[in-house]
Amino acid sequence: MSLTLRRNDYSLTDEQGQLVDMLRDLFTEQSPIGLVRAAEPLGFDETLWNTVKENGLITISVPENAGGDGGGLVELVLAGIEIGRTAAPVPLLDQVVALRAFAALSAAGADLAGFDLDAALAGDVIVSVAPISTWELGAQLIPSGAVAKAVLAFKDDSIILMTRQTPAPQAQNEGCAPVAWWSPADADVTTTTVLAGGQAQAIWELVQREWRIAAASSLVGLLAISSEMAREYALDRKAFGVTIAKFQAISHQLADIHMDVVTARNMTLKAAWLTENEPKYRPELASMAMAHATRAALRSTTKAAHVYGGMGITLEADISLFYRKVTSWSLVGGGMRRDLEDIARAIDTRAAELQLQSSNR
Amino acid sequence: MDFSQVVFTPEQLALESEIRSIIEANWTPNYSHIAVDHDRMPVEVRMEFAKRGLLHPDLPKDQGGAGLGELELEMIAGIADEYWMPTNVSNSMLIPTLEKHGSDWLKENVLPGIRRGEITTCLGYSEPDNGSDVAAATTKAVQDGDTWVINGQKMWTTWGNESDYVFLLARTGPVEEKHRTLTMFLVPMDVPGVEATPVWILGGGRTNVTFYTDVTISDQYRVGPINEGWSVMSEPLATEHGAGVETQGVAPVNGTMGQTFSRVFEKFVDASIKWAASRKTPDGKSRLEDPITRLAIAEAMLDLEMCWNAEGELGKPMSAEALSRNADRMADIAAPEGLLDFGVDGSIYAGNISSERQHAPGTSVYGGTTEIYRNNLARRLGLPRPY
Ligand SMILES: Cc1cc2nc3c(=O)[nH]c(=O)nc-3n(C[C@H](O)[C@H](O)[C@H](O)COP(=O)(O)OP(=O)(O)OC[C@H]3O[C@@H](n4cnc5c(N)ncnc54)[C@H](O)[C@@H]3O)c2cc1C
Repeated sequence: MSLTLRRNDYSLTDEQGQLVDMLRDLFTEQSPIGLVRAAEPLGFDETLWNTVKENGLITISVPENAGGDGGGLVELVLAGIEIGRTAAPVPLLDQVVALRAFAALSAAGADLAGFDLDAALAGDVIVSVAPISTWELGAQLIPSGAVAKAVLAFKDDSIILMTRQTPAPQAQNEGCAPVAWWSPADADVTTTTVLAGGQAQAIWELVQREWRIAAASSLVGLLAISSEMAREYALDRKAFGVTIAKFQAISHQLADIHMDVVTARNMTLKAAWLTENEPKYRPELASMAMAHATRAALRSTTKAAHVYGGMGITLEADISLFYRKVTSWSLVGGGMRRDLEDIARAIDTRAAELQLQSSNR
Repeated sequence: MDFSQVVFTPEQLALESEIRSIIEANWTPNYSHIAVDHDRMPVEVRMEFAKRGLLHPDLPKDQGGAGLGELELEMIAGIADEYWMPTNVSNSMLIPTLEKHGSDWLKENVLPGIRRGEITTCLGYSEPDNGSDVAAATTKAVQDGDTWVINGQKMWTTWGNESDYVFLLARTGPVEEKHRTLTMFLVPMDVPGVEATPVWILGGGRTNVTFYTDVTISDQYRVGPINEGWSVMSEPLATEHGAGVETQGVAPVNGTMGQTFSRVFEKFVDASIKWAASRKTPDGKSRLEDPITRLAIAEAMLDLEMCWNAEGELGKPMSAEALSRNADRMADIAAPEGLLDFGVDGSIYAGNISSERQHAPGTSVYGGTTEIYRNNLARRLGLPRPY
């Protein structure tokens, strides 16, 4: 046997640091909570979308040879975190994941059947993906499906492109996300097969992982802001003559929330880097990042809301808005059940490795 | 950002085979013993390592080290882990403390032996009446001319029965003044009046109560100024807690104890997989195909990945709690064999599982309880002290 060691370097480059600053400023200024509320119930704000377009964010993680800025999945995660922090009502993450899929499809010589990719690259046409289409056949809930006119999905060993003249009607949901039911069988939907066979499968495997990493990143942002809000409230609110942050029952909850934020962030960044650079290494990492972000966001926004006492469950409180938004990004991808099925495949890989090792252990 | 595999230089590859041959010649793994974080490095290995400066590999060569970097340290830890070999060495965190605060006499007569692996030490902080509140120590040291007389009792003095010295936290003034009247000593354990009796813990490990009765030592054994013991002690304690560890991008980010527990957790996940692979469901399929077993192991794998990503001080409490949670879960999933000791008919890997359930709760206590870690974390988040 020989030893293998991997680096564990989570640091951002200066450029990535500047990107975070730019995105933080942009979304904090342009996506205040009032705008988020005004964009409900659809969960889409046209003006903000235009701002996103004008700032060149649509192509943030699209390869250069496919008309993008050449950023990678790590940059997408950084953007996702800022979107999550502000619950920004724009379908940027789905758009970028779909554009990356289109880039891979073009590189594989897929037939895009006259689809206007330039319009999608410009953000004038909203595109999305069906993250659970290998799992759920027929009609399925599509993230950003109520604003998109084109959706990539997987069906019968092929990647298909579904298009509509007008977006599908939103399926009402607690997070006010623009999700909608799409079905290839729907009369309003035109379906074309863009790539078939093994290559299609390989591309789709990556699309699913990238979507999970993007969704996880938005949950990380949402967790981070909830954690900061709960902390501030705990320092401000008084009970029994002291700030409630003095109670360990409160401060330890805040510590637990913080642990969720840090681990979810690190797992998502690590999964992004490895999926981009070494997609064959531990394919379960994207699902692990997503599963942890999901459980962390569900439990920690519950805790964060609880720190607010009764206020936490009022619709008027901002913390309850973030509590609602969790489901928009976590459940639409199939939830932990789907991720754990993926992770469980790593058991078989490990079992095979262990069998190769000495039998006396 | 970088998670790529390290390509070893020829020197590093040579180091790898050197370490392997030392371990293979001097250590027989015991695969029933899943957690080795409480055991000491086998003495034969210790001596071989010491000859090559590998006992304190990061120290410069002229200080008894090998002048190696973080990467080589990780190599050593990784190889040792592969052989299930404990790596605890005579508290290497003590070396910088002694260098900074030790008397000239200690530096000349004791420090070199610690560096060479010939002298071993243990930590005497906790007492029967105070563990978390370590600054409430009551073990007294009274100055008498050029000597000190020590009286009191320490609890949980791990390796106190087999060490040459104890790094002792003693009270040198009124106890009401808490942090301001503490002084550190490096007390030889073979002087009259020092006694260690065993305390057995879950999983079979040993720690000790140590008694100090009119122990008389020279002032040369004092470490650091009188009544400044708190800051002298805090330095190695902070190292143990994983604070202030500067990473060069190779070491896992989850701190010393977090990393140790995560390695145990990794073996535990493997044991669970091996157990499942060796068992059948009533319909003749492998347990590996049983959805409930798969779910439990998949969640353990998810927790393990979370532990490796728990940065700095988060590493210890998150790993400790994940270990306990999953050990309880797997013991139950592997029922009824989950209750059997190693070596008992039918136990094989379930022996690892039950022994880990015995070991796990301690990880939430020693080196600071998970509550104390949360207190510290809350302070770092800018929250007020609870009391
Ligand atoms: C196997 C083992 C090996 C050890 N080895 C050593 C050693 O080599 N040298 C050494 O000096 N010590 C050693 N220790 C001692 C260890 O550091 C203490 O056990 C630990 O710090 C807890 O102290 P305690 O046991 O006195 O518990 P206590 O401090 O009495 O705590 C009891 C309970 O109260 C909680 N609690 C206490 N204070 C607070 C607080 N402020 N806020 C919230 N909750 C609180 C604790 O979390 C715990 O659950 C060892 C312990 C064990 C079990």
